[in-house]
Amino acid sequence: MLLYNSAAFFADVKPVDFFTGSQWDPESAKGKYSIAPLLVSTGLVTLGAMLIAVPLGIFTAAFLSELAHPKLKNILKPFIEMLAAIPSVAIGFLGIVLVGPGIAKIFGLANGLNALNGAVLLSVMALPTIITISEDAINAVPQSHREASLALVANKWETLFKVTIPAALPGLIAAVMLGLGRALGETMTVLMATGNAAVLPTGFLDSVRTITATIAIEMGEVPFQTTHYFALFAIAVVLFLITLAINLAGEYFVNRLRKFHA
Amino acid sequence: MIKKLKYIVDWILLTGSTVIVCVILGIILGDIFSKGASAISWDFITGLPTDGMTKGGILPAVAGTLVLTLITTLFSVPFGVACAIYLNEYAKPSVFTNIIRASIRNLAGIPSIIYGLFGLALFVQSLRLGTSVLSAGLTLGLLSLPYIITTTEEALKRIPNSMREATLALGATQFETIKDVVLPKALPGILTGVILTMSRAAGETAPILFTGVAFYINDVGTSVNQEFMALPYHLYMLSTQHQAIEQVRPLAYATAGVLILLVFLLNIIAFYIRYKYRTKD
Amino acid sequence: MLISCSADNNTIKIKGSDTEVNLAVQLAESFHTFEPGIFVSISGGGSGLGISSLLNGTGDIANSSRSINTGETLLFKKRDIKIDSFIFAQDAIAFVVAADLPIDSISINDLTHLLNGDYKNWSVITGKDMPVNIYGRQSNSGTHDFIKKKLGIDFSRYAKQMNGNAQILEAIKTDHSGVGYVGAGYVAHGGMHGIKVLSIYSKINEKSVSPLNARVIASGDYFFQRPLFQYYKAGSFEKIKPFIDFEKSDLGKKIIESAGYYPVNK
Repeated sequence: MLLYNSAAFFADVKPVDFFTGSQWDPESAKGKYSIAPLLVSTGLVTLGAMLIAVPLGIFTAAFLSELAHPKLKNILKPFIEMLAAIPSVAIGFLGIVLVGPGIAKIFGLANGLNALNGAVLLSVMALPTIITISEDAINAVPQSHREASLALVANKWETLFKVTIPAALPGLIAAVMLGLGRALGETMTVLMATGNAAVLPTGFLDSVRTITATIAIEMGEVPFQTTHYFALFAIAVVLFLITLAINLAGEYFVNRLRKFHA
Repeated sequence: MIKKLKYIVDWILLTGSTVIVCVILGIILGDIFSKGASAISWDFITGLPTDGMTKGGILPAVAGTLVLTLITTLFSVPFGVACAIYLNEYAKPSVFTNIIRASIRNLAGIPSIIYGLFGLALFVQSLRLGTSVLSAGLTLGLLSLPYIITTTEEALKRIPNSMREATLALGATQFETIKDVVLPKALPGILTGVILTMSRAAGETAPILFTGVAFYINDVGTSVNQEFMALPYHLYMLSTQHQAIEQVRPLAYATAGVLILLVFLLNIIAFYIRYKYRTKD
Repeated sequence: MLISCSADNNTIKIKGSDTEVNLAVQLAESFHTFEPGIFVSISGGGSGLGISSLLNGTGDIANSSRSINTGETLLFKKRDIKIDSFIFAQDAIAFVVAADLPIDSISINDLTHLLNGDYKNWSVITGKDMPVNIYGRQSNSGTHDFIKKKLGIDFSRYAKQMNGNAQILEAIKTDHSGVGYVGAGYVAHGGMHGIKVLSIYSKINEKSVSPLNARVIASGDYFFQRPLFQYYKAGSFEKIKPFIDFEKSDLGKKIIESAGYYPVNK
């Protein structure tokens, strides 16, 4: 159904314009349908989120599996699952009332509804996924690896950074991929926190509009079966293909991890 | 000396990250509950909104979310559990079942807004259900299916094969084995999955945006063909769409608080079932 | 099935303009005490959304702060749907800036250059070197459309598209060099610290007009004023009649007035 509707869109708009134009403005007289600003926006916010969430998530996972006392771990893990359970609109709400004003103050901006705000919030949403899967991956590294390394007079830290983490790498990549998928597809948080200007952003302090937010804003308003309606299905298909590719990649690495340890 | 310094840096890195993650959770909950707690009361949960939604309660939103979650569960659980039983108990492992499993896992990764588009095209338009709590519930049901299937299958897998074989050897049919032995044994696991799925569905906003949620409805609905209010959308509306944003901010905080409490409650029930089940084994 | 169908007839679905949504909510609240058997569900999202919902069959009344455009008329014709409209109030658009911006009124000409992006700095108007930040609505908003048409401009590409009137006010409050537009109903009742409503004049030496002046609005002399429409399908008039009648009643008019709009006397 998604494909059918977007096929109808390309009957109206040339694919070249769709991918290479620089403006998304379906309401203007000519009807400009270019996905570029939306893709860049989505990419920017997601990249920012990953820059924050990946190191934080992997280090936390390493702490949980290598350093933390089992009792502490039993307390922390449900905490992290709690974080995963918080609905996305609640996070978006905090983006408006807490993170946004904070960013505005730090950078001396008029308001904090920009890509950075979205990135911070999305990183919070991707963290539980990254931590949980990374921890599984680090746990899955056989104890014998660590013992062998320790026996070679490497200490606990060298073992962790030079042996355990590299051995868990496929799993860590899978964790990042699945976290990425979560961040890319998130709608409400970015809709509420990023300002939604559909122009090509030039930096993290610009207001951006992601693919998901565009669908959420415009889908309600369009008359069914018009070019604009089909256009929204077309960008949804693009988003779908991107998340699919990322999830498949994640899956591939999870499987490799399994084979590696089998 | 330098080496030792490096260990300290490493230690700080790992412990620091974990502390940051905990602090984030603390800030989220702390901010919402410190500012929302004073507005949450029984009257708030059971009252109708008044004065252009600047005062009064959130009863229609609470009721809407409960009905919505119920429809989602009624739709996704029977299908999901049946599908998992088929995959795990009946179907022989083959390329075909592997493809099905892979597709189900990928369905779980699809952004929720795309489910919203799909629900709009399928339920609202093609099946002519209109924008209603039914359309929205079915859309969320579709979104929940992959989770139900995956968690149910995992629960079924944990039942040792020896139990199935023992029952079959006593002359029971495969259906009887599943009904009387496997399912009761797997029930806590399935229940955990169902409850976690409900908590997810209760917090979702994107899929219901175009399929039936309303800004305001003047009473608790009586039919599944009506539009509805929902807690997450109500929070979205109060924080971005309302005309007196600052005036209703306490209401927004309180709504966020109620929503999070509801979701956590479901999660805690799920944890409890899982915990009890594990210690029994 | 029959039961659910009849229940559906008890719900009036109103969709559309954010400018009108809060007014509609207040009307629906009072309507409920008056006629508890009829449900009214209301969604915002913009005038375009409301009119689309009539087309798509997902709404009964479309609130619109602009009249229906030719493209939309064409779509209704194509699907053979007859619609009627009803003007239930007058709205004026207020231009707002931070209270410390050193102007009280602005010419239509200056406003045009500000909003289309010609003036990127306030220095032309105020003599103070400050960047202009425009806070506008999304393209689906009737307010956005109305100003665009009224001034005959395309908005500056750097205009921020906010989710609603309230967000614009919020932003202007903290942005000393921002300019935004909202329905006068949003600023009519004071309590707006840090915000100033600009008076508008079309020619130099002419008296500037404030959107908060009811007499001016009644005589139709404010530049940015417009009727608020409710569109509905001619076929479903019986269903929505109770609500429309309520809007025309004295109580309905009182609610419209107290919400900062100007009721239409007919």
